[in-house]
Amino acid sequence: MGMISVKNLHKSFGSNEVLRGIDYEIEKGEKIVIIGASGSGKSTFLRCLNLLEIPTSGQIFIDGEEITAPGANVDQIRRKMGMVFQHFNLFNNLSIMDNIILAPTMLGLMNKEEAKEKALTLLKRVNLVEKADAFPAQLSGGQKQRIAIVRSLAMNPEVMLFDEPTSALDPEMVGEVLEVMRELADSGMTMVVVTHEMGFAREVASKVIFVDEGIIKEENTPAEFFTHPQNHRLQDFLSKVL
Amino acid sequence: MSELQRKFIQDFIEKDRWHFITDGLKTTLTVTLLALLIGTCIGIIVGIIRCAHDQQTANELRGAKGAVLKILNLLCKLYVTVIRGTPALIQLLIMFFIIMVSARSKVLVAVITFGINSGAYVAEIFRGGIMSVDQGQMEAGRSLGLNYVQTMTRIVLPQAFKATLPALVNEFIALLKETSICGYIGLNELTRGGDIIRGTTFDAFLPLFGVALIYLVLVLVISLISGLVEKQLRKSDMR
Repeated sequence: MGMISVKNLHKSFGSNEVLRGIDYEIEKGEKIVIIGASGSGKSTFLRCLNLLEIPTSGQIFIDGEEITAPGANVDQIRRKMGMVFQHFNLFNNLSIMDNIILAPTMLGLMNKEEAKEKALTLLKRVNLVEKADAFPAQLSGGQKQRIAIVRSLAMNPEVMLFDEPTSALDPEMVGEVLEVMRELADSGMTMVVVTHEMGFAREVASKVIFVDEGIIKEENTPAEFFTHPQNHRLQDFLSKVL
Repeated sequence: MSELQRKFIQDFIEKDRWHFITDGLKTTLTVTLLALLIGTCIGIIVGIIRCAHDQQTANELRGAKGAVLKILNLLCKLYVTVIRGTPALIQLLIMFFIIMVSARSKVLVAVITFGINSGAYVAEIFRGGIMSVDQGQMEAGRSLGLNYVQTMTRIVLPQAFKATLPALVNEFIALLKETSICGYIGLNELTRGGDIIRGTTFDAFLPLFGVALIYLVLVLVISLISGLVEKQLRKSDMR
């Protein structure tokens, strides 16, 4: 069984069935890129992985532990999984430093000094040390997203989930965020990325999957995926976005 | 000596009548502040329960926990409906003549009545404030492994509080003035203090305008303080 194992995952919102049976295995260190049209269920699939959406049926295992089991410690499981959102979701009432150290200190994983030290190291990695005392409202979109990534990394996650991390950014800021994600991928992090950045998928992904009508219609290595798409819906989709 | 000066001495100086005003003021402030405290506590709890219920999907409300939340939510709704739907004066009279009929302290009756009354309004203010905070803030907190209460207290409530401060101050001011109905149960608060002087000296002008002026000054002080607090809270909005 992989690090993340998804079995027959279904999710409905009312009468709207968004996910209709997804099975997938993700191994440690893999970089999975999920693409698909808007409304295809790709974001819902990602959000099910850390239970921001509760699956209607099916099972999800992280490191062999079933997180969909009744009574599973969801908060504990989420510590292992960083999540980066389309709209950044930095805590508006806290400074950048406090955004980063809040969870590690509040959950008792580090004391304040350790957390700050770790935060500064991470901020250096994304070249934003000078913003430590700023508030989110003072940052550009690209800077906010880099901070959001740092905030997740401060928890030392085993997996990072990205939900369209560059979709809300001005075009000139997309590059700086993708650059950080690339470095993260190079460092060996397990990543699951929902994105429309096909260039990123091509270069970084170990596998690309195409979600359509609530199921995985195609899965392949990026080279095969983009040059020889099999599914006609995927061919259609790629012809529109490439 | 002018007529006004004579009246002033008669209304406030003779027989130390100013005591009616100062003692009344003390009572008014005591009732207001204690009721505010109780009202805020009730309001936060009720507001959070209402939001916690409304922000769950039907799917998540299944099971024992969901059932408890549903019942609590119904109780909170009932509370807000009844309290907002009836006049504060009636509530005060019911509390004094029926529910707390054996209570010795009228201040206590007033504090509890106004605390419960204010709580319903504060609950709705807080509910609006919590709902106005982007859902993504809660999601981000939860995705980092913080639990609901931790995310609520450190992230959502501080932002909700900032958004609701003007409305909360409004409620505070309304509460302060509303305590003037305590005269109906014979509690000597500020308004009744002025009225007692009016009844003894048969001069309406100075006692009533004097009392009005004191309320006005109190409200101005509250506005001033809230302005300062708002400025402080706005720090994180600076661009």
